[in-house]
Amino acid sequence: MAEPHPDVASPPALAVSPAPHLRGLVSSARLNWSVACCLLPAAAWGVFLFGLPALRVLGMAAGVSLLAELITSLAWGRITVRDGSAMVTGLLVGMLMPPGVPLYVPAAASAFGIMVVKQSFGGLGRNWMNPALGGVVFALFSWSDSMSRWLPVRGAGSAVAPLAALRDAFAGGKAGSGGLLAVLGAHGYPWSATDGRVVTWVNDHVLSLLGASLPRGVFDMLVGTVPGGIGEISVPLLLIGAAYLIVRRVIRWQVPVTYLVTFCVAAQLFGGLPMGRGWLAGGVLFQLFSGSLVLGAFFMATDPVTSPLTLRGNLILAASLGVLTFFLRYFGTLGDGVPLAILLGNAVAPLIDRFTQPRVRSAGKGVIG
Amino acid sequence: MNGPSTRSGGLFRNNPVAVMLVGLCPAAAVTGRVIDALWMSAGLILVLLLTRLSLEILKAFSFPGSGTGHMTDWLSLLFLASCFTASFELVLGAFAPDESAGLGIYAPLIAVNCIVLDRLAGRGSQEPAGPGEIGRSLGQASGLGAGFALSLIVISLIRETLGSGTITLFPIGSFGGTIAVGGISLAPARALVYAGGGLLCLGYLAGAARLVRRVKGAERA
Amino acid sequence: MKRQQPFLSTGGVTPPSVNLSPGAQRITNASVPAFALIPMLQHAGTPASCLVRPGDRVQEGMLIGKADGARSANVHSSIPGTVVRVDRRAGADGTVSVAALVELGGEFDRTGKPRATNDWEKLSRSDLLARIRAAGVVGLGGGLVPTHIKLARQPGRQVAFLIANGIECEPSLYADVSLMRERSREIVTGMRICQKILEAANVVLVIGQPSEEELIPFFKEAFDDIARGFQMIGVSARYPQGHEELVRASVLAHAASNGVAHDGSECVVLNVATLFAVYEAVAFDRPLIERCVTVTGGAVRRPGVLKVRVGTRVGDLFEECGGLSEAPGKIVLGGPMRGASISSLDFPVTKGVSGVMAFTQAEARTGPELPCIRCGACVEACPWGLVPTRLHKLIQRGDVTAALAEGLSSCTECGCCSFACPSRIPLADSLRRGKRSGALSNNG
Repeated sequence: MAEPHPDVASPPALAVSPAPHLRGLVSSARLNWSVACCLLPAAAWGVFLFGLPALRVLGMAAGVSLLAELITSLAWGRITVRDGSAMVTGLLVGMLMPPGVPLYVPAAASAFGIMVVKQSFGGLGRNWMNPALGGVVFALFSWSDSMSRWLPVRGAGSAVAPLAALRDAFAGGKAGSGGLLAVLGAHGYPWSATDGRVVTWVNDHVLSLLGASLPRGVFDMLVGTVPGGIGEISVPLLLIGAAYLIVRRVIRWQVPVTYLVTFCVAAQLFGGLPMGRGWLAGGVLFQLFSGSLVLGAFFMATDPVTSPLTLRGNLILAASLGVLTFFLRYFGTLGDGVPLAILLGNAVAPLIDRFTQPRVRSAGKGVIG
Repeated sequence: MNGPSTRSGGLFRNNPVAVMLVGLCPAAAVTGRVIDALWMSAGLILVLLLTRLSLEILKAFSFPGSGTGHMTDWLSLLFLASCFTASFELVLGAFAPDESAGLGIYAPLIAVNCIVLDRLAGRGSQEPAGPGEIGRSLGQASGLGAGFALSLIVISLIRETLGSGTITLFPIGSFGGTIAVGGISLAPARALVYAGGGLLCLGYLAGAARLVRRVKGAERA
Repeated sequence: MKRQQPFLSTGGVTPPSVNLSPGAQRITNASVPAFALIPMLQHAGTPASCLVRPGDRVQEGMLIGKADGARSANVHSSIPGTVVRVDRRAGADGTVSVAALVELGGEFDRTGKPRATNDWEKLSRSDLLARIRAAGVVGLGGGLVPTHIKLARQPGRQVAFLIANGIECEPSLYADVSLMRERSREIVTGMRICQKILEAANVVLVIGQPSEEELIPFFKEAFDDIARGFQMIGVSARYPQGHEELVRASVLAHAASNGVAHDGSECVVLNVATLFAVYEAVAFDRPLIERCVTVTGGAVRRPGVLKVRVGTRVGDLFEECGGLSEAPGKIVLGGPMRGASISSLDFPVTKGVSGVMAFTQAEARTGPELPCIRCGACVEACPWGLVPTRLHKLIQRGDVTAALAEGLSSCTECGCCSFACPSRIPLADSLRRGKRSGALSNNG
């Protein structure tokens, strides 16, 4: 019997798998590692400002996070450190810590975040709470005094973070008028000389035309030469990292923008303090640049695992977070309302998912054959 | 017919969630210190044994309300448990007011847990009351109570050690009653002393118990 | 012709495609194969019953498999020669059917000979249908439904739309586009034939934009000459816009936007290659023995569009296109999103094979599967508004009923969800299996 003689012999080891045979370029591991890399500039700024203690805190947080992930994943028989989520958690924990905190605090926070918040619920993708935030809030409640161990910025300045100083100012009864930054100024908060020069220049040359004026302190807070958590103070570096993530479509830009806009609107409406001259009196700007708001809005509210699935759901969540953060800051006792607000948002995300399911369109009815 | 009994079987015996929910309150509330957990356990075992004993005696004399599955059964159990719990509370308040304050408003929960555990003990036995039956019944009750006590003590050990850095026990002689645990007492993780921390420990304990049961089951299989 | 707001306003993906230059898109005839392996099941339905035995001599275009049952189609030999073997073989999708292996020999009856032309306009509807059925024409866009079944009009039911689907079904495939460019009149005549059979209220040709913009003048001219009243609409062609269900939905949406409501209308959607085969069957009595196939992929040296005889060995096609530049990682019959991957180069080209792709080793690698990170990419990609990750979890748990309640039956297995998933979860495969088991349990 004649057999067909193939000119090209069948090659060995052809992959046989179900369709589709193409995949998008991005992988979950790469998403996580991109986020980790984009956090580094802001973290480096913290180390630059606060020196070796900050580096130690970051290292401890990241190291314990990776170690905890390694140990727990080995217990399941596979190593999941490669997917990058533990690195992100560790970095976030470190960045939310004050630089002067004793090292067992970030270690415990990271360990708690990875082992209790993430792995106990089933590992990557199964946690309902953001692991980094879970760990940080655990640390906040467990060692609350340690979590206020701010360090002074290299050089001079105060060793109290602006939000905490504000709380002291109000508690001391020296509220006065003119916006939050003015209050801080009246309380004697030491802004740097650069800040004075820049703000004066902008006021004289640009904003005087608009009839507004920036209070002293805006520049310091924007650039990040104030005490605070290691990674949360430098707004420009955080924005640069976030911009990369947005451009590469790792995170949705609509979420942080909605969060921040809602927050600013709430701050403007309910700020309660007379807003001083013009519309840049500093209440909104102060709130925007203080605490972990920018870090939380861009890097934690956008965490895919703990957010709703659809864009619509995410927008609803982001708007709620904005309002919630403001109220927690304004009426709450802990100062920075961002971690708690985002955790509450995490808890509500599945509910939002349930009510924002996309509408199923039916495929062909009436197509013959 | 076994009306309420079968109903209660579905409600309690076969419904682990209900059992766990009812047990959550003392587990989260009184396990902040070891001493509180010890007193709670002691109270529970005492009340449980006394209630069981009384019910068995009632059964021996065929009093109504001591049979199987009638409404009067419930009433007698409630009445007896409440009485003994209240007595325990009053005695404790009189002779050890500090410890009573430690239990606080959760002391009456002894009654609730007693009722739950008593029902769990299983009323399947229709045998007439007698010394053997009483002994078996008391043994079962004390076993359940001891199990509950063990869980409370374990949780409280963890919570107090990690959350306050101390272990509070009975003051005996020169011993003040509080052991400070090494390095942790310098900076304990206070979050564990809060209710959330208690629920966390409870969750892990329940998970550990389930794991042990599964391993044991696998070994036997 | 105005640009249409696509039905695919959400969902869909843009997979990378191998682009062919205009020169490469020109249809060239593949060499006649020395051996043709012709399965009896090349359509959706019951296999044809084989009429030949080993040793029989067959002619080009001779009937070797007779349609068996209501949902079946005729199978013809694509080459003249002798039947070497008739045995059962597994197709690319795993289904086993009888296949006849014909060895080339003897004279060609049709190729190279002048063709007798029928004046189809004089034929009655039933005559036309009979010719189509005799020629074994099936849906060449992938559905593989025997065309005479699609064209059989139910008495008393008016067909609202006869739709010619000119949108290329999958990325990297060009056969339909090339056919539209080179044979526009024949396709339009095929539309006229089907219109005569169906008496549809509207006849619409759907063209993908912007990729097929240049084809519009050809068809405009053809419409003006021989098919007045036919309409053309352009739809933004993002994958999977070319799929039958979405084409139908686009046409209905277009009609609705013009104020004409057509909910639940009867539509007949036919691929342009099928229409061309209909024309050949009716005008020249030519059975379906060859079709245009895109031979492409990262591992092919000179990708192109070939006119291939049914039964040709896939490996030979690669040879005709300059051979494989490296050992391929994966061979796919069909397109990259919905085609079937095969385990060797010895599979035949059947009526349903619109493309043959050879992926390089690098292209075939997908990376490890990670847990779902709930990113929502699959939800964004699904054209039907499903939540694939949730359906996948339900199906994994075995709860197909719940999955069906959440819309699983709307899934058209386009593969967009798997493509979009960064965790490389085989969502489309899972949904496919869920649908199969759901269908099985429904059928008892």
